[in-house]
Amino acid sequence: MNNIIIFAGSSHPTLVEKICENLSIKPSQVKLGKFSNGETSIDIGESVREKDVYVIQSGCGHVNDNFMELLILINACKTSSANRVTAVMPYFCYSRQPDIPYTAKGAPIISKPKHSAVKESGNTTEIGSVLTTHKPVSQRSRKSIDVAIENTLSSLSLDRSTPRILKSEDNIQRSSSNSRIPVIPERDGTSSSEAAGALFNTNNSGYKLWVAQAGTLIANLLTTAGADHVITMDLHDPQFQGFFSIGVDNLYCKPLIQAYIQHRIPEYKDAVIVSPDSGGAKRSSKVADALGLPFALIHKERRSQILKGPPDATLASGGGVPLSPKPLISNLSGSELKHSMSASKFVQTTMLVGDVRNKVCILLDDLVDTSYTITRAARLLKDQGATKVYAVVTHGVFSGDALNRVAQSAIDKIAVTNTVPQDETIAFLGKNRVDVIDVSRVFGEAIRRIHNGESISMLFEYVT
Amino acid sequence: MSSNSIKLLAGNSHPELAEKISRRLGVPLSKVGVYHYSNKETSVTIGESIRDEDVYIVQTGTGEQEINDFLMELLIMVHACRSASARKITAVIPNFPYARQDKKDKSRATITAKLVAKMLETAGCDHVITMDLHASQIQGFFHIPVDNLYAEPNILDYIRKNIGVENTMLVAPDAGSAKRTSTLSDKLNLNFALIHKERQKANEISRMVLVGDVTGKSCIIVDDMADTCGTLVKATDTLIANGAKEVIAIVTHGIFSGSAREKLKSGKFTKIVTTNTVPVNLDLDIYDQIDISAMLAEAIRRLHNGESVSYLFNHVVV
Repeated sequence: MNNIIIFAGSSHPTLVEKICENLSIKPSQVKLGKFSNGETSIDIGESVREKDVYVIQSGCGHVNDNFMELLILINACKTSSANRVTAVMPYFCYSRQPDIPYTAKGAPIISKPKHSAVKESGNTTEIGSVLTTHKPVSQRSRKSIDVAIENTLSSLSLDRSTPRILKSEDNIQRSSSNSRIPVIPERDGTSSSEAAGALFNTNNSGYKLWVAQAGTLIANLLTTAGADHVITMDLHDPQFQGFFSIGVDNLYCKPLIQAYIQHRIPEYKDAVIVSPDSGGAKRSSKVADALGLPFALIHKERRSQILKGPPDATLASGGGVPLSPKPLISNLSGSELKHSMSASKFVQTTMLVGDVRNKVCILLDDLVDTSYTITRAARLLKDQGATKVYAVVTHGVFSGDALNRVAQSAIDKIAVTNTVPQDETIAFLGKNRVDVIDVSRVFGEAIRRIHNGESISMLFEYVT
Repeated sequence: MSSNSIKLLAGNSHPELAEKISRRLGVPLSKVGVYHYSNKETSVTIGESIRDEDVYIVQTGTGEQEINDFLMELLIMVHACRSASARKITAVIPNFPYARQDKKDKSRATITAKLVAKMLETAGCDHVITMDLHASQIQGFFHIPVDNLYAEPNILDYIRKNIGVENTMLVAPDAGSAKRTSTLSDKLNLNFALIHKERQKANEISRMVLVGDVTGKSCIIVDDMADTCGTLVKATDTLIANGAKEVIAIVTHGIFSGSAREKLKSGKFTKIVTTNTVPVNLDLDIYDQIDISAMLAEAIRRLHNGESVSYLFNHVVV
């Protein structure tokens, strides 16, 4: 292969090695590092003049660092007269576009619990280190998650008295450091919890909190840096492609997943393909159709009871998620009080559409991050009489204590691709419970075809 | 048209400075939630309407671990404001990140400062306020107006009030800062000396040559930034070896990364002074800080009211 240069970002060197093996070339020389003040430093070791450059960087690990590294690397190639620079992002960071400031668990945004803040204040007060999520979970907080999940799952949260609500909120607070709930950094002097309370209370009623949608920005930044083309896989939103004004090749993991199901799940012929949420229904049903398997869907209703009633000013703020009961109560009269209290507790109902009794279930999803969705789905399937639950996932990000949750979940076996490094997953869950599907051949073939100007649509249907 | 007012937003990099600017301006910090998800992506939530407002976002380049996080925070905040229909968005970046990667000094070197400039524009910035850019040419990387403020008036004021000009000399620790030092010495009517250093690798200095006589003088080293402090410490040693009475270091951006703190502790300084463009965590008795929040606040006020900013280049804001 002439004139091709492949650079490996620091996020996922093993995948790059595999891709290069498939292309029978070597990754090119580049020194990646940081200056002592934290700025990313890049030193390209060979000429890229008039070359076709591919920069491979996955959106995992320390996302912002890796993304900046990618941008700087692309920019460096561009300013060094590369002919074309393609960003290869197996997992595309910021591809999920949350429009409401709450989490997979349905809990509203909540500040960092105070006691853990005290615990941590010894280290630093900077934001990065406030993240407690990547630390091993203590027994106690794990328990509190279970309680929180049970609280959410049990649908008896409609008429709760004040102390009960406070308690459940406390639960959510405690578990907040372990879920995809954004962590509000501690600031010196000011109490962050208060600030958070002020931010999300109902004083500015009528204003819906504006949650930044980073998608367009990320796309524009890549273009700004000088990327001419993007290769990625199983974008969470297919619409994301439209944010770019450059070519985007969204590869599909579907052929690989189908092959995996056919070859590695012995009882697949009697299995049911299950989508853990309605968002992934389309993707999962395609696999089910291709394999001729029945399909079931888990539908998650995440809404507060009061939304069924007439629109309420207090609900308009915070995207309909009153955070703390306190400000709500303060501007509601007594008769409305009970009503609104029930609203402040999130009602989440999960229901299964389809029959899974005495069947093997294969959960399909594109992304496992906090793993709340998939573990809860697995539990539901087992409760509904499923004999065995497999989970097949494209991107296994497993942030926070997701691995812990998966380990304790009803999932019998989970298969993830290596778009994100999975060494930790294997180490944590053991080889018997995890299968890693290798995507390097798809990416290798895509790069080869794009370099040679051939069509890549064949990759959408067939395993290479 | 509705009235438009200043909205002051702050990222997580330097809340203290933002607080000071806010107090100075009499404009409360707007409610913004800047968090990290557990997968380390940044999430920004704006808690109040900024439609048709004049938005100022304070975020500085700092943090050995988080500098990229802070930059992404800033970009996402700018983008969020842009998509939330702000009338004008100004990024207030007291210490411009990646300012030193501003030239292609060898083959395939990155001009990251230019990239950062382009990224800010892409995100939707209309204006940038910064301070003591490492190279003022960085302003040319932007297609939007950049106000590069100088800490010089504050530093002059500090020298006059706290050090005195008797038997004092200004020293430029490298050729790059000679110009800055010479304007300072003109204004103070002092002599100045220059240290020439031979650099082989970034952040490493091999040899230093002093130009000028410093025997028996109080020397003030003035520079725009102190990072690993290799230059500062070596310059100080050189000055002391050449008979200087004492050495005082005044820098605008006290980044102090890596082993800088230890170096400074064991260094032969009489005093170390920085501004608060970045949070400085230096636990030394000889450390002193110049507060430049008033200048930033005044720049914001003038910018908002469409007044000239150049007054600030020569005058201390009290």
